Amino acid sequence: MVRTVYSPEYCLQYLEQYASKEIFVIGLILGQSTESRENIIHLARTPDEKSSENPSETSYDSEKLESKTLLNVSEAWVADHAKHVTRMLPGGMFVQGIFITSDEDIFEDPNSFSKVKSVVNHIHKVMSANQYMFGDCTFSNERLILHMSTSTKVLTCKSLEVGTPAKITSIKPVEWKFLPKAQQWQRLDCYYEFDDVYPVIVKKSGISVKQQFQQILESAHKTIESSIMFIDGELKENTEVLEQILKKKKLPKTHSKVQHQELPKSMNVSLFVPFENSLPESVEYLECDGSIHFSGVVSSSVFMFPKATVGETIAAVKQDIIRSLASRFTMHCDALIDDNLLPEEKVCFNEPPRRVLVPVGSLYLCDYLFPGEAPAEALLSVRELLDLQITEAEVVCDVETPADTSEFDALDKDTSSEELLATPQEASQFMYITGIFFAMFVLIVSIIVHYYDAINELFSKFVS
Amino acid sequence: MSPRLKISNYVIERLSNIDTNETTGCLYGLMYDGTLLVVGLSLELFENEKNTYRQLLLNLPAEIELCGVVRFGESLTTGTTMKEILQDVDITDNPLVMIVNEKKEMKTHFLVHDKFEETKYEVLSTDEMWKQFLHVRLNTILPLTCEATISGVKNILQNKRKKIASGQVSFHVDGTSVYLFGVASDVGLTGTSTEATIGELVDSMSPEQPKKKKHNTNTVEIVPINLVLKTTKDILSDKLVKTAVKMMTTQRKPAFCISMPLRIDTLAIIHRNTKLLELYTVLVEAACRSLRLLESILIEQLGQEGIGDGAGLRLPETFHFLPQELGHFVTRVVPKAIPDESMEKERRLLHEQLGLPLNRPLFRRGNAYSDKTGGRLVNPHEAIPQQPLKPDVTVALVRGRYTYHHYMQDNFNDDGWGCAYRSMQTIFSWFRFQGYTTVDIPTHRDIQQCLVNIGDKQPSFLGSKQWIGSTEVMFCLETLLSVQSRIIFANTGAELQSYAHDLVHHFQTHGSPIMIGGGVLAHTILGVEYNSATNDIRYLILDPHYTGAEDLSTVISKGWCGWKNSDFWNKTAHYNLCLPQTKPAI
Repeated sequence: MVRTVYSPEYCLQYLEQYASKEIFVIGLILGQSTESRENIIHLARTPDEKSSENPSETSYDSEKLESKTLLNVSEAWVADHAKHVTRMLPGGMFVQGIFITSDEDIFEDPNSFSKVKSVVNHIHKVMSANQYMFGDCTFSNERLILHMSTSTKVLTCKSLEVGTPAKITSIKPVEWKFLPKAQQWQRLDCYYEFDDVYPVIVKKSGISVKQQFQQILESAHKTIESSIMFIDGELKENTEVLEQILKKKKLPKTHSKVQHQELPKSMNVSLFVPFENSLPESVEYLECDGSIHFSGVVSSSVFMFPKATVGETIAAVKQDIIRSLASRFTMHCDALIDDNLLPEEKVCFNEPPRRVLVPVGSLYLCDYLFPGEAPAEALLSVRELLDLQITEAEVVCDVETPADTSEFDALDKDTSSEELLATPQEASQFMYITGIFFAMFVLIVSIIVHYYDAINELFSKFVS
Repeated sequence: MSPRLKISNYVIERLSNIDTNETTGCLYGLMYDGTLLVVGLSLELFENEKNTYRQLLLNLPAEIELCGVVRFGESLTTGTTMKEILQDVDITDNPLVMIVNEKKEMKTHFLVHDKFEETKYEVLSTDEMWKQFLHVRLNTILPLTCEATISGVKNILQNKRKKIASGQVSFHVDGTSVYLFGVASDVGLTGTSTEATIGELVDSMSPEQPKKKKHNTNTVEIVPINLVLKTTKDILSDKLVKTAVKMMTTQRKPAFCISMPLRIDTLAIIHRNTKLLELYTVLVEAACRSLRLLESILIEQLGQEGIGDGAGLRLPETFHFLPQELGHFVTRVVPKAIPDESMEKERRLLHEQLGLPLNRPLFRRGNAYSDKTGGRLVNPHEAIPQQPLKPDVTVALVRGRYTYHHYMQDNFNDDGWGCAYRSMQTIFSWFRFQGYTTVDIPTHRDIQQCLVNIGDKQPSFLGSKQWIGSTEVMFCLETLLSVQSRIIFANTGAELQSYAHDLVHHFQTHGSPIMIGGGVLAHTILGVEYNSATNDIRYLILDPHYTGAEDLSTVISKGWCGWKNSDFWNKTAHYNLCLPQTKPAI
């Protein structure tokens, strides 16, 4: 049977818009593969290399684009695009391949085809570098190549196997179907909570924030992989289909007085972690140099094809939490100036960017905002990386809230009061110095002193 | 209204046999279905402040609480200590006061509005007790990392208890899809009907169980439970805090911390009709009890000299004990790898507090209740239908647990020559189960090696298929376990008859299995029945020549374990008996 993928119809207009301009465009195919069906959710043109270095300039400089051809596309650039876009995808969604609009037949012209292979394989290589990003679709290793000829407007789709020696590339035809109606998605939400305190052992793990985040990621991955998932409070068989669960639920209508169905289409996911023993059966005695409190939530919203199975859904939710954690950590660490867990200050605060949701078609992808960034920042990445225009009002910013300092103060209460507080600078680094508090104290005291003098004056006047 | 009162037969027995100078004791019980069931007792040893009933409660399965006092004497007087104890009774508004006089007559009273009201009680038989009640056993491992100080340990364990009590944890019945949720979830139970009882669940888990139960009524049913922690927040909760993940690091002066896998292994006793939904709070209490017990052991260690800084801290290990005379579990936590011998003082206090005999170990590691027997049958003789007691008949049986060792076990073909070795292994297992030793049960080769080492046999004996006899068993027990044995020689099977009193005495005082060999095949004697009117003797024999599978019903029905008359012995052959002797120890 020929592999078939289903795509929203606006993707056709999207392709035609570029094809009709008779320009070469390369971009990514985003979608979800399940046993029951493969759905494409979006096509995202890879931004132009030069203009993206300077994102304030318009990237729609058609003059420049016209001069671009497939053969001078940088594989690394497209792969980088794929890397950034993956951060915006919820679990269960992947970069499924690439699309190209050009006048040559990329499948027939050997030079073009070898370039296509090279791009796809480069993406594969980059995406599989970080396992916690779940960039590389595990479902299959056949990537989609969608081509629209700028001259004939003919659409051809094939699949190409990645990660195999160049000579035995298998290429297969793929049927690409457009759905007139918007695809329905089953949304599943959860808030995964972290609240862990552990010692900093410099001798063992150093003082790198990056490394610390990596360790947190590794342990979170282990924990989440081992967790048991409930959908709407119930344990489901891996083979059950999401749609069926909903149907079953509707059956007992007798006491359907349950009014709190504000999110009628969304299912609640809860994860339970068994305690498994990975520690040695002994007491470890360690010299520690401080403590780490890692806390907060990762909000997770995944979108599944309603015919997807519970097993596929569980995998998607788990992927989503880890991918989101990995994305924030990478973004945070890329913006770090001082990769030091224990700087001069006694308390150090690392606040990675938080997740916001951005609408794409009938579902939501996500973006990350550093503390202090406005939702408008998300518009930029959506335009740059997804080639999509959305309005600020459409960005869902309240799935997570930035850490406020009052909470931080509360956390700090159990540590010594004379400590200096610091948060990373630049993107997310701010410094709070207890000196400020001290200054305020001095101010208050001086006001009282001042007032006292006034009283004294009054009093002495009265006496005299 | 005061509850109905039942007293476990174990408590009645213990009170009738108790011989103490103390005047007051504590009673422990549980409530079910409007009934107070007294299941245990302890003596208040006032000279020892550490061993109070409050501490002892941590050693008992959850659901068992202090329910009253027992006074040894004639009159119903209330001293100050008694009042203090009665004030601590939370399980019922009407604490129980029991009087046991010198004639061991017992009277029970409920304290109702500061007045004693005498009340009747029903005795719950041993059989009924195990039939109606079962245990749940919660096992989980909490990773624990904290400062190596007493306050560090206290804080972290308090946090763990809070977390467990917060409703964030969920309990999972092993091997089922049944999960119990806490208040943090809107559902209480999944995987079965919300009306289901724990008894129904247990029956559904093993459909063959009822058949087996007929055989063995005294089996303790234990339902294994594990714990999972909810790591997601409720979306619909109004208290939802959605602060994105962040990391705070606090620098300290270099300090020491300890990190360990803290194993929670805890029991609760519940009536079979308990609804699964009600089990949640029971399990939370069980987990918290275990954490308190673990905490006390960790802190005790941290307070000790040399360990004070935490460097010598040992992992606490939990053991459950079910001494025959007690009728309820006692859980102890001991530091890993500290030899039993150096903890005798604590055990002695526990024996005294529970009014247990002081001449044999009951709370050593080896005494711990365990259902892991390497697939071997434990105490198969208990499955033999009991005969009603007759006057003039004395029955004396092996005391405590042993495993049935026989031909062909461990994939080792010893058919035709290994019976005495197997009998020796059964005896050895008894010494292990009774806590006298932690030495592994010797293999055939180990036994041969031992005999070669002491010069009893030539090196060529090693790896041979030569038989051994009672004296060899005696040598080995002495060498490997420092256990002395008495050897009885009987020139004929008929002469055995005359040693009936010796055998009865042996089982009553030592209680260990006896190996019998000589001119014929070796067997293990597990008990003896002596009729003083007719002079008839019957022997409870465990036959090591069995080559079949570990199937209790075959072993019993085919008589591989069963009562034999005197004609079981060959009239003309000679016999040697090895009676392993125990030394008083705790």
